[in-house]
Amino acid sequence: MRSIRRSEARATLCVLATLGALAACDDPRSGPRFAGARGDDAAPRRGGTFVFHHESDVRGFDPHVAFDELSNMGIKLLFDGLLDYDHELRLIPRLATALPEVSADGRAFTFHLRHDVRFHHGRELEAEDVRWSLERMLHPSTASPGVAYFAQLEGLDDYTAGRAPHVRGIEVLDRYTVRFSLREPDQTFLNAVAMPFAAPVPRERYGPDAVEVARHPVGTGPYILEEWEPGIRVTFRRNPRYWQPGKPYADRLIYELNLQRETAFMRFLSGDLDHVHRMTPADRLFLGQNAAWAPYRERKADADLWGLEMNTELPPFDDVHVRRAVAFVIDRERWSLARNRALAPLGQALPVGFAGHDPQLPETQVRDLARAKAEMRLAGHADGLPEPVTLWIGEGPTGKAYGELAQANLAEIGIRVELKPVSFPIYLRETGRPRTAQMIFGGWSQDFPDPATFFDPLFHSRAATPTDSTNRSFYKNPTLDALLDRARSERDASRRTAMYREANALVTREAPWAFAFSNIRLEAWQPYVHGYRIHLVWSNCFRDVWLDLPRRRLAQRFAPRAGVPAALLPFGGAR
Amino acid sequence: MDPRAFRRFRKNRGALVGAVLVAFVLVTALFGPVLAPHAPDAQFPDALDRVTGLPVGAGGHYLLGADQLGRDVLSRLLHGGQTSLFVALGATALALTSGLSVGLLAGYLGGPVDTLSMRSIDVLLSLPFLLVAIVVNRVVDSPSLLVLCGLLGGLSWMTLARITRAKTMQVRELEFVQAARALGMSQTRIVARHVLPNVVQPAIILGTTLVAQMIVAESAMSFLGLGVRPPAATWGTMLSDGVSMLSYKPLLMYLPSGMIALTVFGFNLLGEGLRDALDPKV
Repeated sequence: MRSIRRSEARATLCVLATLGALAACDDPRSGPRFAGARGDDAAPRRGGTFVFHHESDVRGFDPHVAFDELSNMGIKLLFDGLLDYDHELRLIPRLATALPEVSADGRAFTFHLRHDVRFHHGRELEAEDVRWSLERMLHPSTASPGVAYFAQLEGLDDYTAGRAPHVRGIEVLDRYTVRFSLREPDQTFLNAVAMPFAAPVPRERYGPDAVEVARHPVGTGPYILEEWEPGIRVTFRRNPRYWQPGKPYADRLIYELNLQRETAFMRFLSGDLDHVHRMTPADRLFLGQNAAWAPYRERKADADLWGLEMNTELPPFDDVHVRRAVAFVIDRERWSLARNRALAPLGQALPVGFAGHDPQLPETQVRDLARAKAEMRLAGHADGLPEPVTLWIGEGPTGKAYGELAQANLAEIGIRVELKPVSFPIYLRETGRPRTAQMIFGGWSQDFPDPATFFDPLFHSRAATPTDSTNRSFYKNPTLDALLDRARSERDASRRTAMYREANALVTREAPWAFAFSNIRLEAWQPYVHGYRIHLVWSNCFRDVWLDLPRRRLAQRFAPRAGVPAALLPFGGAR
Repeated sequence: MDPRAFRRFRKNRGALVGAVLVAFVLVTALFGPVLAPHAPDAQFPDALDRVTGLPVGAGGHYLLGADQLGRDVLSRLLHGGQTSLFVALGATALALTSGLSVGLLAGYLGGPVDTLSMRSIDVLLSLPFLLVAIVVNRVVDSPSLLVLCGLLGGLSWMTLARITRAKTMQVRELEFVQAARALGMSQTRIVARHVLPNVVQPAIILGTTLVAQMIVAESAMSFLGLGVRPPAATWGTMLSDGVSMLSYKPLLMYLPSGMIALTVFGFNLLGEGLRDALDPKV
C-alpha cells in the first residue's frame, strides 16, 4: 500500500514537471524566418499562393449588399469599380478610361468605359451592365445599405416607389458611355461611384432567378472565386481574362476565416500565413518593437472614429450635460496606454486628415474631471445617477477591455455601468433600433476620404431610421442637417471645409458621442511578399500582391521543421 | 466520525496535503477581501509603463504585479478566489442535495417514481454541458453568480443520484429497515433515520471531487466569456485576460491557473483520502 502511494506521488510530480517544462521551453517570439528578400522595385513575378485571414466569418460576396470590411476583402478581388483610389487616396479611373466629364452645373457625370473588360464568364462589359447593376442595388427588394449614397440621383424616388421602370438619372448613351444626372450637385457622388455598391455585375447571372448570388459572385475583378468552405476558407483563382496585362500576379489567394488573433499571429510567425493584421496588444507590441520585422511591417493612423455612443432619446443621455460629463471624464490617454499605444486619442468628430478636423478646436473633448463633475451638477446629478446605465459592447476580449475602461472612468462621476456583451450580428441589429441601446461602445470607419463619410451616416437625422440606423445615438438637429446638406453640395473647397469645421464644433459640443480614439493600424507580411501597402479606404486589398518564390522555397528548406515531408505538415506547409 | 476512519485519514499523507491545501484556499477565499491590499477593480495610473503601457511586474507596490488595465493582481486573485469558490461550493451543494434526494426517493419508493427519475437522468446526462451553458447564457439576460451556481449544479447531480439509488435499494432490504417498518415507523422517519445515514458516504466523497470539477467548469465558462459579468474577477476570467499577455507577462496567466490547479489538486486529494478513510474496502 505504502509503496504504491509513493510511486503514485512520484508519477504525479513527473507529470507536473513535464507540463511545466513544456510550457517553459516554447518561446513563441521570433523574427522573420527568411529575411533579406529583394526590394519592392524588383520586377513582379507571377505564380504562387498568398494566404491571408480574418478573425470572423464572411456573410457573402454580393457587392451591392455587403457593407463590412470582412466581405470587402473578397469583393475587392472579385469586382472592379468604375473608379478607384490610389495610395494617396486620390480618385483614379479603373473600369472607366478617365475621370468623368462633369457638366458646368456640377450635376451630370459622363463616364466612358474601357473596351477590353470582360466578366469572369467571358462576356464583355457594356454601359448597360453599369446601369442594370446600379438599378439592382437601388431596388427596394435588394435592401442595400448603399442607397443613401446615391440619394441625389435624378428620378430615384420614382424608381424606388415603383412609378418608373428605370432611374431617370442613369442614361446609357452608347455601348461604352453612361451618364449620371443628379438633382443637386453632390461632392461625394464620385466617392459613391467608387464604392463596391456601384460595381457592375452581369445581369444574366444576377437576374431574378439567380440563386445565392452572394455565394457565386461573377464580376470583372482580377480573381475568380474557386472554392468556398463555409466558415473555414475561401479560395480565389487568377482571372485569365483580366484586362490589366500581366495582372494579377499570384495564381491563388486563400482567405482563411475564423482565426483567433493569437492563433493567427502564431501561424504568421511560423510562416503559415503571409499577412497579419488585428493582433492582441501584446503581439502588436512585439511586432512593433522587433527590429527584424521592421522592413516588413507598416504602421499607419487609421481614418476611423471610436467612442461611446449615447442614445439621445433615452434618459439619462437625453440631457446634453450628462453626455458632456461623459465626454469630459473619458481618460483617452489612459485608454491608449492600456491598449499599449495601439490607438491615437481623439476628442472630436473628425479623425486627423479630414477636411474640417481642427487640432485647435476649442470644443475638443478632453479629460477634465472638474468639468465633468460640473456638468453632472448642471444636469442635477451632483451625486451621480441612481440607476446604472447599460453599455453594449462586442463579445470578446477587446470589447471587454474597453468596457472595463469606460466603467472605471464613469464611476468617477457616479455613473455605474453594466456591461452587455453581445455577438456582432445582434450588436448590429439591436443598436440600430430606436430606444433600444442606451449606450454603445462602437466605431465607424471611412467609406471614402471625405468628411461626409462620418457626418451623414452618424449624425444626420436621415440616418436615424426605425430598423437599421447608422445614427445610433439618434441625434437629430435640424441646424446640423441643413448645414450638412449645404456642405454636401458646396463646390468651393475652402467654403466646404469651413462648413465641416462648423459641423465638427457643433457635434463635438453637443456630444452625442464621447469621442475617444482612432486606431493605429499595424500590419506585417512575410519578407517574400511584395506589392502590398496599407490602403486606408480598401483595407486589406491584396489584388496586386506578388511573391518572391525562390526566396520562399529557400525559406521552407531552412525552416526548423525541415525533414518532415511537406505532405504531412498541417495546412500551408505543402504550398 | 468513526475514530478508526479518522486515524486512517491522519495516516494518509496525500489526504493531509489535500486537507491543508483546501484549508489554505478556503481561508484565503473567506478572508480574501480583508487581506486584499487594493480594490479589485481599481485601475491604477502608475501600474502601467509610461511608454509601452505594459503592466508593472511582481514586487514593488503591487506585490504580484498589475494586469493590462492596471489593476492589482493579488487583490483580484483574492477576490476572484472567493467568487470561484462560492460558485463551486454552491453548485456542489445544489448537486448534492438534488442528487441525494432524487436517489433516495427513486431507490426507496421504486415503481413509477424510480422509472421516471432514472429516465429523466438518462436524458439529462445526454445533454452536452457547454451547449446548455451557452443556451442558458443567451436566454438569461444578465447571468449572475446564482444562475451560474444553478446551471453548474443542475447539470451535475445525476451520477450521485444513480449511486444513491443503487445503495438505497440495498439498504431498503436490510433487516433493521424491515424491523423499523414492522414497528410502524413512518416512511419519512425510516428514510431520514435509517436509510440516509447509510447512503451518505458516497455523497461526501463525490462532493469533494465535484468541487474540483466545478472550479474547472466555472473557469472554462469564464474563459469562454460565459461566466460572471466584468469587471468581477474569477480565476477563469483572469486566465482568459492573461492569455493575450503570455509572451510579455506570463505571470498573469500562471497565477490564476496555478490557483485553479492547486485548488483542484487539493480537493481531489482530500476526496481520495476521505474515500480511503470511510470506505477501506475499496
